[in-house]
Amino acid sequence: MQKEIKHIFFFPHPAEIVWDYLTKPELLAQWLMENDIQPIIGHKFQFRSKPALTIEFDGICYCEILEAVPFKQLSYSWKCSPTDNGYKIDTVVMWTLTAKDNGTELNLLQTGFKEIENDLFYMAMNNGWAKNIEKLLQNLNSNSK
Amino acid sequence: MTPQILDAFQVIADPSRRQILTLLSKDSLTINSLAENFDMSRPAVSKHIKILYGAGFISIQDIGRERYCMLKQDGFNELQDWINYFDKFWITKLKKLEVILNNKSKQK
Repeated sequence: MQKEIKHIFFFPHPAEIVWDYLTKPELLAQWLMENDIQPIIGHKFQFRSKPALTIEFDGICYCEILEAVPFKQLSYSWKCSPTDNGYKIDTVVMWTLTAKDNGTELNLLQTGFKEIENDLFYMAMNNGWAKNIEKLLQNLNSNSK
Repeated sequence: MTPQILDAFQVIADPSRRQILTLLSKDSLTINSLAENFDMSRPAVSKHIKILYGAGFISIQDIGRERYCMLKQDGFNELQDWINYFDKFWITKLKKLEVILNNKSKQK
C-alpha cells in the first residue's frame, strides 16, 4: 500500500531553468496548472485545474510555501477538498533539484497523506496476509503432528 | 435514527473509530468485546460501528448468537483513490514539462 508519492525525472537543462519552470507562474502554468506562486516562504497561493469527478475533487489546491532554496529545493503545503474541520488531503509537495553533468535531476516527493500514514492502514492491508500465513502455519503444524 | 453518512476521511478522523479499526485489524470482535475497550457507553460504541459499517470499513456477521465486526477493504479504497489520482497526475504533468523543455532546447 502506497503512502507517499515519489517521482524522479531528469532534464538535460541547468537547474536554473528547471527552477524557473517550478517557480514562475506563467512557466509553471504551461505544464502544471494555473497558479499564483511566488517562491517566498509563507506565500499562500492556489493551483486551479479541472475538477476530477471520480474522487469529487473540485480541482483547487491550497498551497503555502514552506521552503525555497533557489535552484535546489522548493516545498509547499498542498491541501485539497476543504471540510468542516480541515482538508481531506493535507499533504506537502517537495521538489529537490540536483545538478548533474548534463542537466538536472528533479525529485518530487508528496507526503503526509496523514490518516493513511498511520499503522492502521498498513495493518488493514496486511491483515489478510497475516491471517493466511497463520492458517498455513496451523495446517503445517497439525500435519507434522 | 439513520447513521450519518460521512466520507472516508471524516470517518477515520475520529480517534475512537480509528481505535476500533486498530482493534479489528488484530482480530474480529463482537460489539460487546469492542465496547469493553472504551470508556463510552455501549450505544456510543454502536454508533461508531454503524458509521464504520456505513462507510464500508467493516462488515458485520452474525455467528451463533453474537454479532462479529471485521475489517473490510472498501472503506480504505477512497483514500487509496486519491493517492492513485495524484500519482498519475504528477507523471502526466512532469512528462509535459519534459516535452516543453525539450522543445525549448531545439529552438536554440
